[in-house]
Amino acid sequence: MIAQELLGPAVLVLFVGLILGFAMLGRRWPAVFRPLHGLEALGAAIERAVEAGERVHLSLGTGSVTGADSAPAFAGLAMLSRVAAATAMSDRPVVVTAGDGAMAVLAQDTLRSAYDRARAQDRFQSTSGRMLAPTPFSYAAALPTVLANEDVSVHMLIGSFGSEVALAADFGERQRAFVLAGTDDIQSQALLYVTADHPLIGEEVFAGGAYLNVGPLHRASLRAEDLLRTLIVASILIGTVLRTLGDLV
Amino acid sequence: MRLRLSLLWAAVASVVGLLVLAGFFIQTPILIALGGSLVGLAVLLAGVALLLGLYNLLSVHLRKISLQERGWPYSALLVLSLLGTLVLGVFFGPDNPVALVLFNSFQLPAEASLMALLAVTLTLAGFRLISRRRDLLSFVFVGVALLVLLGTGPWPSGETSDTYLLIIDVRNWLAQVWAAGGARGILLGVALGAAATGLRVLLASDRPYGE
Amino acid sequence: MTMADVRCPMCSTINPADATACSVCGARLKPMIAGEAESLAGPPEPQEGEAGDWLARIRSEVERKAETSGEAPPRPGEPEWLNRLRPASGEEEGPPEGELPEWLSEEEGSAAGPSEAAPGEVPDWLARIRERQKTELEAAAEEAPPPSADDDWLGRLRREEFLPTEPEAPLGEEPEREAPPLGPRPPSRPLPPSSPPAPAAAPPPISATAPPSGRIPPPSGEKPAVSQAPPFMGISKDLLEGAMPKWLEGAGPSSDEGLPHMPALVAEEGLAVTPESASDLQMGSIDIPNWLGDLRKDAGVAPPDAGAPGDSLARATLPAWLEAMRPMDTFRPVVEIQAEDAQEVESAGPLAGLRGVLLAEPVVAMPRQPSYSGARLEVTERQFALADLIHRMVEQEASEVGPKPPARRRLPFSRWAIAGALFLAVALPALLGAPSLSVPTLVPPGLPALITLVDSLPGDRPVLLVFDYEPAYAGELDAVAGPLLEDLMQRDIRLATVSTRPSGPPLAERLIRRIGDAHGYLNGQDYVHLGYLPGGPAAVQLFARDPRESLAGGFLLAQEPTRRGMWSTPVLAGVQQFSDFGAVVIIAAGTEIARTWVEQAGPWTGASPLVMVASAGIEPLIRPYYEALNPQVDAVLSGLPAAVAYEQANGRAGDARLLWDSFGTGMLVAEMALILGGMYGAASFLLRSGTGTSES
Repeated sequence: MIAQELLGPAVLVLFVGLILGFAMLGRRWPAVFRPLHGLEALGAAIERAVEAGERVHLSLGTGSVTGADSAPAFAGLAMLSRVAAATAMSDRPVVVTAGDGAMAVLAQDTLRSAYDRARAQDRFQSTSGRMLAPTPFSYAAALPTVLANEDVSVHMLIGSFGSEVALAADFGERQRAFVLAGTDDIQSQALLYVTADHPLIGEEVFAGGAYLNVGPLHRASLRAEDLLRTLIVASILIGTVLRTLGDLV
Repeated sequence: MRLRLSLLWAAVASVVGLLVLAGFFIQTPILIALGGSLVGLAVLLAGVALLLGLYNLLSVHLRKISLQERGWPYSALLVLSLLGTLVLGVFFGPDNPVALVLFNSFQLPAEASLMALLAVTLTLAGFRLISRRRDLLSFVFVGVALLVLLGTGPWPSGETSDTYLLIIDVRNWLAQVWAAGGARGILLGVALGAAATGLRVLLASDRPYGE
Repeated sequence: MTMADVRCPMCSTINPADATACSVCGARLKPMIAGEAESLAGPPEPQEGEAGDWLARIRSEVERKAETSGEAPPRPGEPEWLNRLRPASGEEEGPPEGELPEWLSEEEGSAAGPSEAAPGEVPDWLARIRERQKTELEAAAEEAPPPSADDDWLGRLRREEFLPTEPEAPLGEEPEREAPPLGPRPPSRPLPPSSPPAPAAAPPPISATAPPSGRIPPPSGEKPAVSQAPPFMGISKDLLEGAMPKWLEGAGPSSDEGLPHMPALVAEEGLAVTPESASDLQMGSIDIPNWLGDLRKDAGVAPPDAGAPGDSLARATLPAWLEAMRPMDTFRPVVEIQAEDAQEVESAGPLAGLRGVLLAEPVVAMPRQPSYSGARLEVTERQFALADLIHRMVEQEASEVGPKPPARRRLPFSRWAIAGALFLAVALPALLGAPSLSVPTLVPPGLPALITLVDSLPGDRPVLLVFDYEPAYAGELDAVAGPLLEDLMQRDIRLATVSTRPSGPPLAERLIRRIGDAHGYLNGQDYVHLGYLPGGPAAVQLFARDPRESLAGGFLLAQEPTRRGMWSTPVLAGVQQFSDFGAVVIIAAGTEIARTWVEQAGPWTGASPLVMVASAGIEPLIRPYYEALNPQVDAVLSGLPAAVAYEQANGRAGDARLLWDSFGTGMLVAEMALILGGMYGAASFLLRSGTGTSES
């Protein structure tokens, strides 16, 4: 019983240790990630949007800060810091929408920090980070107005979504925008597979920071995830074999 | 000065997160009480943030109205609706009859219509999938979707044929073995990614609260 | 010189005919090749009319002039051109009177006072110079200095370059070394008019503060061959060693005090150079090209030690990326200078017999190692990353995305067609009652267990219904949850509802009113809405721990709207904690919220069962909680087919049966769309591939 109680903290400590270890090893042993077409094409799409005077829209989803579904939105905020810096000099800086008020406030803070780092404080507008609507489908219903009025050509959906994400992605497709969408909900990922040009499947939504070079800990955490996943898969296989042998015996 | 403030915010966020996490793992009364208080505070702040979000929503649309931007009449309608519902809720409670009528007559049909639109969107996306993305996985996707639909819905010819029974078995096999297994695997990765994201916030690597 | 005498091909010394080596320089006079002995060892006195007569004529003229002028014959070991230049050196020493450059006049004035330089008169300094030169010339004629006299600075330079010499004094510490006379200074290196006369007051253009980027340094390690050296190389050595020309000696010391110092602007490692350190600025610290500096090292000049004043000056810095691009030890001199003994003897032409003659063969035709073959770049990781970044930038530039093609305005016919087909498929059964599809005859797995569970529920404890779905899902979940509510109401089980969404309580009221009216259910007596539970998973956990302390107020309470009033209703009588509910039924549309309730509230249910009523889409994700060895969910009801089967088991048709026909026809249309879309996509793919094959 004690061992079972200690298992959680032990895994957590191992996870933190792996992240820090990989962060320190990162310079000597640079990480090599498999290509993700959506994240690789994002740079060119943003470049084209900036040159064309169009806007990049990032949706943080309909999840709340206090919920368990806040993690993909935090991943979206990490990507936002990078995207905001890339579009800081654009005529139309990035606009961020969320379905939660606290998430909108965090989006504003992230935008402000990104513009500070880019020395483009004058680009920041408090209305660049918005709460569109408090419920998922009302949020999806409000998206077409934002996409049309703001001349959005890059439509990023990085956050927690339900089934409404299919509508959100389809609105972007109908606008002929570059649609990059990822969420943590598996059912919604299946919907994104058919509605979005560049869906992020599985944990790919959390890998955006590493692929966009947000920071060394992003790359390190991705490597730690891979290692832990390998360990878990190995333990599952070993457990299955042992259990099968035990049943046979 | 600004650097010190950012360090202070990072320290506060890390300490609060670690305390709540410790309360989850270590079941001592002090940590449990502390974690509960902090979570309650977070819920309270989330409520305040909802008010901030509403203020943000109002400011965005009031600006559109004042600048007469494209679609400003819709913004005006939104502001009026928001203020009217807010007044109703504040002064008469969320369960007053008018609010219920508004809910049943506006919000429910509108969202149900959006769900119907979702059905159309998904059907159309399935129709176009092979044309848009011509690869093996797309064919597999469409084939599996077709099998699940055939195994879920009724058949005009009835449910007595052997083919229907075979399709039912295949559908259950796909849903309960392949889909469930794949979903659990994906969930594992998602959980690891979510944990890593939370740990980055605890380590002050990600600072969504600003720097 | 007789016909039998042999002139040394290297130093022109006349040697006896039988000598095999030069008596002065030791050069071999007879070639090693026997067949060429005669042509090489014989005196190169060409006959009249032969091709080499011009060379003999020049030589004889030189000898005759030397004899008539009373000068000493050409000293062996000295180049003839130097001997020719020598008589003129004394006459041309110093600028002519009245033609002093302005800058020199000013300096003179500042050094000796303007009153001493009366116009039209020979100034004292010039008289002193001439006096000294005259004395030196006389002494030179009397002493017949050896070939390695100090004034043979070019010959000395050449010898020092190729022969190891004893270490010399550091820079600025060789006052005994005689500076070249003023007269023979090479005309090809005129001092710039703007250059000040005193080296100590060297201005920035020649100091180490000059940015190195303004000039193109030759590749490291490259040493120009002497044969390629420009004429001004002759004075470079003395200048570089800090030896001050005599004609500048008078101006130097006095100007040290009067002229301002020019410290380096950027010191090494970011330290500013103080005026004290800058005062030590000497000629040796002049920013010279690297290859010239290397020449100075080769000439035997000891490098200044670490404490030398020049070290306090800022070192020229290159950007990291430029430093990385500098080839290291890769460039070789185009012509390698071999030792004199190893050089070939010219065997033909007027220069026959001479050694060390420049090759007539074009330099470019000489085989040599390609300069790029041995390029070795020592780069750091950061430099490599920068280079990679540049590479990627160039590649991205090449593959730059083009402008977005203009959107074609076309009507969404396919969207309209599918929407119309779906609308007709769903509306026709509801409006016309046809077609009527058969109800499912197969009982979904898990439904019998649910029915058994509901049958076993105690009638004295309320059941908690969690309405956690959005209004958009009401169409499906109301129909799925309907049969369960019907079953519960048939058993007169009290109901309590709660939701973590603001829209949950109205949905609960709507569904319970619709089903409960037939069973006579009243608010406050048979059911109660606990209301909205804000806070997400944390709130769910808090509610499961202590339900009475977690809710602020109910929804549509029949009695006083206070927390105490809500919990004092007969519906919640006996409920003190979460496990006091007879069962917990979670009606959810999303995976996340369903998992939240199972994981956060499941441990607090005690012996009460946990039932999941879910949308069909999340069934595969919920089922593992139900089918596990230690199930956390006791029963699952998901999807319209299961609901229809439940209604049939109840023996009463409800919403599920009403929707069944529309559901079935809509599914058929979706299946048809998938089939047609797949066929269309495959056909277009085959057609395009066929067209591409025929075109190719």
